Amino acid sequence: MSVLAEPPRRIPRPRGVLTPLALLIVAALAAFTMLPSLIAPYDPIALAMSDRLKPPSLEHLFGTDEGGRDIFSRVVHGTRYSLGVAIVIVFFSALFGVIYGAVSGMARGWVDNVLMRIVDLFFGFPALVLALAVAAAMGRGLDSVALSLAVIWWPGYARLVRGEVLRLRERPHVESARALGVSELTILRRHIIPFVTQEVNVRVTTDIGFALVAVTALSFLGLGANSPTPEWGLLIRDSRSYFGSAWWYLVFPGTMIMLTATAFSIIGDALASRRSA
Amino acid sequence: MPPLLELDRVAKTFAQRRGGRAVQAVAGVSLSVDRGETVGLVGESGCGKSTLARLALKLVEPTAGRIVFDGTEITHWTGRRMLPVRRRLQAVFQDPLASLNPRMTVEEVMREPFDTHGIQLGARLAPRIRELLSFVGLENVDLRKLPPQFSGGQLQRIAIARALALEPEIIVADEPTSALDPSIQAQIVNLLLFIQRRRGISYLVISHDLDVIGHVADRIAVMYLGAIIEQGPAAELMLRPLHPYTQALLSASPTLAARRSRRWKRIVLPGDPPNPADVPLGCRFHPRCRLARDVCRTSEPPLRAVAEPGRLVACHLAPEETAVTGEEIGQARKGLAAA
Amino acid sequence: MILSVRDLAVSFRRDGQELTAVDHISFDVAEGETFIIIGESGSGKSLTGMSIAGLQPQAASVSGSITFKGRELLNRPDAELRRVRGREVGLIYQDPLGSLNPVWPVGDQIAEALTAHGLLGRAEAARRAVEMLDRVHIPDPRRVAQAYPHEISGGMRQRAMIAMALAASPSLLIADEPTTALDVTIKAQMLELLSELKRELSLTVVLITHDMGVVAEVADRILVMYAGRIAEIGDADAIMQRPSHPYTAALMASAMISEARPKQDLDAILGGAPGLGAFPSGCRFHPRCARARDDCSRVDPPRRPWGAVELACHHPVAADATHPLVEA
Repeated sequence: MSVLAEPPRRIPRPRGVLTPLALLIVAALAAFTMLPSLIAPYDPIALAMSDRLKPPSLEHLFGTDEGGRDIFSRVVHGTRYSLGVAIVIVFFSALFGVIYGAVSGMARGWVDNVLMRIVDLFFGFPALVLALAVAAAMGRGLDSVALSLAVIWWPGYARLVRGEVLRLRERPHVESARALGVSELTILRRHIIPFVTQEVNVRVTTDIGFALVAVTALSFLGLGANSPTPEWGLLIRDSRSYFGSAWWYLVFPGTMIMLTATAFSIIGDALASRRSA
Repeated sequence: MPPLLELDRVAKTFAQRRGGRAVQAVAGVSLSVDRGETVGLVGESGCGKSTLARLALKLVEPTAGRIVFDGTEITHWTGRRMLPVRRRLQAVFQDPLASLNPRMTVEEVMREPFDTHGIQLGARLAPRIRELLSFVGLENVDLRKLPPQFSGGQLQRIAIARALALEPEIIVADEPTSALDPSIQAQIVNLLLFIQRRRGISYLVISHDLDVIGHVADRIAVMYLGAIIEQGPAAELMLRPLHPYTQALLSASPTLAARRSRRWKRIVLPGDPPNPADVPLGCRFHPRCRLARDVCRTSEPPLRAVAEPGRLVACHLAPEETAVTGEEIGQARKGLAAA
Repeated sequence: MILSVRDLAVSFRRDGQELTAVDHISFDVAEGETFIIIGESGSGKSLTGMSIAGLQPQAASVSGSITFKGRELLNRPDAELRRVRGREVGLIYQDPLGSLNPVWPVGDQIAEALTAHGLLGRAEAARRAVEMLDRVHIPDPRRVAQAYPHEISGGMRQRAMIAMALAASPSLLIADEPTTALDVTIKAQMLELLSELKRELSLTVVLITHDMGVVAEVADRILVMYAGRIAEIGDADAIMQRPSHPYTAALMASAMISEARPKQDLDAILGGAPGLGAFPSGCRFHPRCARARDDCSRVDPPRRPWGAVELACHHPVAADATHPLVEA
């Protein structure tokens, strides 16, 4: 290269307030999930018809819904459903996908081929159709949402981990372990998996946000939680009829979904930029 | 007595994805290492020398040919069956930082061979690790440190100590000095020689550096595009290279004095290092050879015995048309004073 | 002097500590000479070269003075610096793939180097790019100019990088380990090419390397660096005939493996080069030096004239103690 060109400069990493802010949001969400009754000022289910559709005030931070229920309290209690289900989906998908992908990557050859074709099959499956089918078979509810999303979610992990395993197994330290006579299983456990976890952690964190959006979307479409569960997607579904008159009913739960998904995405990015080679 | 390690016409072809041409990395190479002997394998990148090392270490399956260890064919042995062989056949790689797991402490790195081979030393393990490290010149190592906390030279010593843990009879060393600083290279060369004097083990040393190979090896094989094109006792081959390719390699590094005096004219090969996916017809070296003529373009020269005992050359024109140049190059390496 | 470096220091802050990687070194490069900076990893040789080119890492702070043709290069506004460097200083790296843009045809990249500074118009620059590719003996330069870096071989990329560095007809070429990663036969081609270009374009070359063989072949003057400081500096013939600093002597000995008796121990330097922040007291080479005495660990040896060269050593290799390593 000639020095005529701009000297290579490192791209500055986004730093500053975003990551701490995202961590703060996640901490708040964790508190919502674990101690909803301590934080929420009102009962999320009990109706109070005298307080119908009140705009936000000091008494009702996020306003009230058509049943006079405090929307803030419903959002707080709903965290457990929306985010909780998202975490369960991602956790089990990751667990299964990691094992599946690792087996596929280590086995190589025809086993790998068959396993990956199965993954393709699941990948190609439309989420909505699957969710409809599962809902039809198991009935509407968050458990069928969890099942149908997990079924289409794990192949992502299987592919990611298989790719990583294939890449890592060519690393000199793996080669040198093999030359020493270390068994394939020990190589996987000791010399490959520790290097995959970082990558999986990044993916899991980012995916929680995406899964949350998917869960709420299915609920919004009427395939998930049933009333009066304060699930976020369901809140938005219920708010539709009142959008013109009670904007807060839609805006606050919607903002929560957005904030939560963004927070996990930011933390995922922060993890990604910190990972070593 | 059979040789300790014998490669018999081994070949390795890598299928390329997406309909590309298959790449023949190693094209039927025969090479053997006797007990206590050092065989040096030299060649440039893409010549297949690292694949040959991996074949010898049974890290890849040959497409053809046989691999024989101490008289027993092990060509298709895998897994647990290979364990007793692995105990006697160890490896040292080029980049010591990359070839040690960066998340394992030195202690874990050093006990892995014992664990793998079910050798239970109990309380004697720690002193044994100390003894091995001290043997390779590392005293008072903090065993809790991770590989990235050591220098390249120290790491290569650790890798060598680990390879010695099982008291192997042969070590295959793939570019053991290439990733190191010049002053450290000499240390590692000395260490390899020291180990051999003390333990009498065999080496198959693979390098692109003919100087290093010439110094440590008893016998040398020169590889070009997947095949051995010259082979012979180290002293004779270094003093009188007969293949034009070996001559070019050697002429690139005469003595410092010769390089300084500029009376030395090196042989500069035209063109790029060849592509193993595209091996020329006839002699594989002919497109870069200044002696090439019709016969070289049409018929492949076999590796045949010439001149002194043990010397093999794959060149139609050797030794008649190459001996004089070979002599000159050998002399230049001894110092121009003689010339 | 085409290039004067005075009191150059390059330092980094790490954990609140100021770590000086290049420790106040001074040297001159004369017009038309091949000036070699030799040292091992961590010696500061590359940082020195990159500082001359103004390409030190962003985290580094550079002080001292670097004058090129009488003009100060350090601490200049970026635009002015770029103009001087762009026209007058060419740079080649160890790794051509890393310094060529993978999504741009080779010829365009060379032309860009010329148009960016308004040296030439676009059509003219494109013509010049092909000319330069031809100049570095790339066969079929027109075709190669239109190829992407990954479409040409490693040796050709190396040549293309040289073509790019020389396109603006600089008078100074800085080459950072230009042959280190290369195969023996390609290294030979590169050395031939570099010395041909230097001769025909009357370039001044600053070449950074750890390879004594390369030094022997091309050096007019040598600067030996160790742990951020100058160990020895002077005329290449003088140093190669009789290295006076024990480190220089040891480096040369380690490069003379082909002259050693096969299977016998080589003259190796003990230990390893110290890392940044772990430089020993006194003479920084003393823990590895066979000639070290008490004063070496206490007193920093000043740079002083010694015969035809200058060095920083309390106990240089005596004039009569060694046989000449290279004949006169």
